[in-house]
Amino acid sequence: MREVPAVVKRPLVDPCKEVLQTAFRLLPWPTEAGLRRIGEPDETSPVLLTGNYDLTVRRLARALDGCDAWLLVAPSRGINVWCAAAGGHLSTHQVVTALKTSGVAEFVNHRDVILPQLAATGVTVLEVFRRSHWKARFGPVSAHDLPAYLETGEKTDAMRRVRFPLSDRLQMAAQWGAPTALVLGGLALWLRPGFALPLALLVAAMSVAIFTLYDRMGNARKLVFGIASVAAASSITALTSSDGVALLTAAVAPVFITMLLTFDYAGSTPLEGGSHFEERKWRITLDPDRCKGVYRCWEVCPEACFEKLPNLRKVELAHDDRCIRCGACVVQCPQDALFFQDADGTRIEPDVIRKFKLNLLGERKVSAAPFE
Amino acid sequence: MSSLALMRWLEGAPERYDAGMRVLSFGRVARLHAAVAAAAVVNSGDRVLEIGCGTGAVTELLLAGGATVTALDQAPEMLEQARKRLAADAPVEWLEQTASEIDRLPERGFESVVLSLCLSGMSPSERAFVLRQAALRLSAGGRLVAADEVRATGWRRLLQLLWRVPQAAVGWLLVGAVSQPIPDLADEIEAAGLRVIRSETWLSGTLGLVVGEIADA
Repeated sequence: MREVPAVVKRPLVDPCKEVLQTAFRLLPWPTEAGLRRIGEPDETSPVLLTGNYDLTVRRLARALDGCDAWLLVAPSRGINVWCAAAGGHLSTHQVVTALKTSGVAEFVNHRDVILPQLAATGVTVLEVFRRSHWKARFGPVSAHDLPAYLETGEKTDAMRRVRFPLSDRLQMAAQWGAPTALVLGGLALWLRPGFALPLALLVAAMSVAIFTLYDRMGNARKLVFGIASVAAASSITALTSSDGVALLTAAVAPVFITMLLTFDYAGSTPLEGGSHFEERKWRITLDPDRCKGVYRCWEVCPEACFEKLPNLRKVELAHDDRCIRCGACVVQCPQDALFFQDADGTRIEPDVIRKFKLNLLGERKVSAAPFE
Repeated sequence: MSSLALMRWLEGAPERYDAGMRVLSFGRVARLHAAVAAAAVVNSGDRVLEIGCGTGAVTELLLAGGATVTALDQAPEMLEQARKRLAADAPVEWLEQTASEIDRLPERGFESVVLSLCLSGMSPSERAFVLRQAALRLSAGGRLVAADEVRATGWRRLLQLLWRVPQAAVGWLLVGAVSQPIPDLADEIEAAGLRVIRSETWLSGTLGLVVGEIADA
């Protein structure tokens, strides 16, 4: 018998790490890959897999406090599950590697592994089985739903959906606001120390406003919001100083604010992909003749675009207006019944979506014919 | 020696990989490739399993030595670069798979197994698994040739640590993956059941080349 795996590193709540990793979520935060214990798992306990993003591993362990399970941390380059899966860093390869080399098979008497649903853009369950003989299934989107899911074995509709609640919005605000405030505040500290704090506070306030209010506004309200922001920036400038530098700042502030408001947050929210994302204009298309009613698309779609048609053993693409083109349904469909299609009818075939992932600019670098 | 973090970033752009590796290794990478290939191919017609073939720089040398090669890499873009490098009728089989899947290849099916600059990117448990499985793929008298970033010893360790600070910072910011030099490559190869017959270091002790052979051969 191999050495018993360690528990997830304590403390599970580490305020310093929490603040640092939330403010700099844009950076990868790798933790060691491998098998961990949650509680006192035995050979019948479930095996849960995630990527080696430190923040996720700690939050997952917190959410699972009181459960007994095996946590398999796969090497995803310290990137969170959804981004790593879309970018090819949490793919079938990494899952197979974790299952085969971590020794998990020696600790359980089953071969079932629960993957995070958002890994569905990168990990093909059929391929995992073919390469490792482990049966993978997709659990809930959110770690908070895991205890209920493990308890009942049932994934409710709500567990399938990606939400963007206030807590997530504030984290996004921190992720973009903190580094920007630091850079701009730092620059001001060097050039004009009096501006540093007001500028940093302005950036922080605007980040919060952008992620909590702005995307939910209509165009008219966005205009008012923009004008109010410029007025606020100008007032701060006028109150802080009244010389030439202040005038210059007042002139630059609107430009800066416009940049913030129109900045491409490139896929960092679950609402839409960035404008660089080549496939944003493509539409998900269903070939009903190929569909055999396996419902895997329905199971993995984070926006619940599909409806089951049980009498016909088919699905219907009932809400494609909600589609964010994550490609999870295309990757998982065992019948290849789903694909992306351009307005002129050009297709991106499922195998291309499975094999070639998005780079940081949202491009899919297709350079090779698929290998067998 | 290059940090694997930077190599991984380079992997994102396979067309830049070879040039990048030359820069990162201060021009030594070609010599290392040659040494690996020379150690791996003893007789013309040797069957060589190359794990993590990348853009095929070592593959090319193995073929030039007269070997028949089974080359695997998990990145399809890298395999495409490797295929472009070599003649279409070269005796090489390309496999898009991870190192952990070599257990599906025939046991005792190869005279040599080559692992060039790929082990340091793996976790310790993955390395142990891959080396154990690689040893099982060797035929009687076969040899395993591994070259990778290793932990330097003595005063050179200090140099390595100093150099690693800026290197790790850049790598971490770019790809979030900071490679860990392998503490004792020869030791890990012996743990896989092989007898180490050659062990040398390059680039101020930061790059190791180790050859192991089947202990009962």
